[in-house]
Amino acid sequence: MKSMIALCMILASAAVAADVSGKWTGTFKVNGGDHNVPQLFILQQQGKKLTGSGGPNEGEQYPIENGTNDGGRVRFQLTTGEWKFAYDLKQTGEDGLEGDLKLENVNDSRTAAVSLRRLK
Amino acid sequence: MRRLIRTIHLVLGLLSGIFIVVLGATGSILAFEPQIDNLLHRDLSYVTPAGPAVSLVEIGNAVSRKYEGEGIVAFLPSTSPHVPAEVILSRGIVSVNPYTGQVLGLRTRGQSFLGLVRALHERLASGDVGKSILKWSAIAMLFSLLSGLYLWWPGRDLRIHGAWGSTKFWYDLHQTIGIFSLVPLFVLAATGAMIGFKDQAALLLGKISPPPTVYARQAENRVQPEAGAQITPDRAVQIACSRLSGAIVYRVQMPRYGGRYLVNLLNPSDRIAGERNSVSIDPWTGSVLSVAQGTDLSFRERVEAWNEAIHTGDVFGITSRTIVAAASILVTIQVVTGWIIWLRRSHLLSSCKSKRALP
Repeated sequence: MKSMIALCMILASAAVAADVSGKWTGTFKVNGGDHNVPQLFILQQQGKKLTGSGGPNEGEQYPIENGTNDGGRVRFQLTTGEWKFAYDLKQTGEDGLEGDLKLENVNDSRTAAVSLRRLK
Repeated sequence: MRRLIRTIHLVLGLLSGIFIVVLGATGSILAFEPQIDNLLHRDLSYVTPAGPAVSLVEIGNAVSRKYEGEGIVAFLPSTSPHVPAEVILSRGIVSVNPYTGQVLGLRTRGQSFLGLVRALHERLASGDVGKSILKWSAIAMLFSLLSGLYLWWPGRDLRIHGAWGSTKFWYDLHQTIGIFSLVPLFVLAATGAMIGFKDQAALLLGKISPPPTVYARQAENRVQPEAGAQITPDRAVQIACSRLSGAIVYRVQMPRYGGRYLVNLLNPSDRIAGERNSVSIDPWTGSVLSVAQGTDLSFRERVEAWNEAIHTGDVFGITSRTIVAAASILVTIQVVTGWIIWLRRSHLLSSCKSKRALP
């Protein structure tokens, strides 16, 4: 019985930590900022490694750096210019990613909450 | 009526005073933010002019050698003979001597002293709550200034009569500083309130949120990769300058980051929207995809740009920055003298009452 429960738990965690390859969309609002900023990511996952790009729309994309998906914890960075964006997200089901974003430039550091949905 | 206005003046000062002190103290520093930043990073902020500048490609090569081929996000070419060029990398911003190509050093990202000062000024170094407190404090400051003017008006005295340290001294000092700094403080509070209530101000100005058009235009002009080599950033600069003659290039975003060359140009004759010129260029063909100019700004954007330039002191350069810094210091003195007067008077009142209560 115990081994069955353990197997179920492993299968459940594997289901949550699904491959995140695909298009993801959503917004973020910097804490203390004025507006919701649109986001669109095109992710490719190979093993734990995550590559691809992200930006405000499909026409303006920036390469993803240091991307990983470790058991449903999705982390990656991208640099759009003066600002560097560091995402730390968790998979919520197959089609959701939620978590925190840290934005940094040479003088400032800000945080934001991020919620992304998979585009089908 | 006068008693009511005095009470309003007092209550506003007590409720918002501490936040106005934060705004004033941080604002006086931010008025000279670029100069202070340069002083704090002296080694990375100045170069000695020596002959013609090297190309962006050479600068990029020097940075790539130093930082192991890390991708260049953007170049920030030098806009003045004594200012170094900068190169944006993922790990930070590299300063380069534009005459020799020598790498001067790297500034990493993260909160700094000036960043903390700005965060305090804009949002009490917190988030939405801090921002709301500050924008309402700016409104409170506007009413404090107007009520102070009303209270001062009957006597219209600008001299300090009281002996140093007496309640009369603090009262006269409060009045005198208040009247002499009234106009710049009113302008700072009004422009600050407009920045705080940006969305509401946009509604008042009758036009709401055009930014999606920019994204739409970029999406329409999406660059399709083709065979062959991309043009160099120096060539992109040449193309951009041919479209906006007389403007100075201050930023070149590389095509790997955003899909095209984005060249930003400065029009030195326009202090308000002079930085809002850009040319977007196809990296393979060199054709111009879009041109945006400061003169294209909508009425709302122009009003917002003017408002910000007035608030920061950018509008008339160093003169207006000095006025902004001085007014920011004076407003902190105003709040403190106001508190002293209140404390002295409440102490006097309580001692009078206790004397009366004696048998």
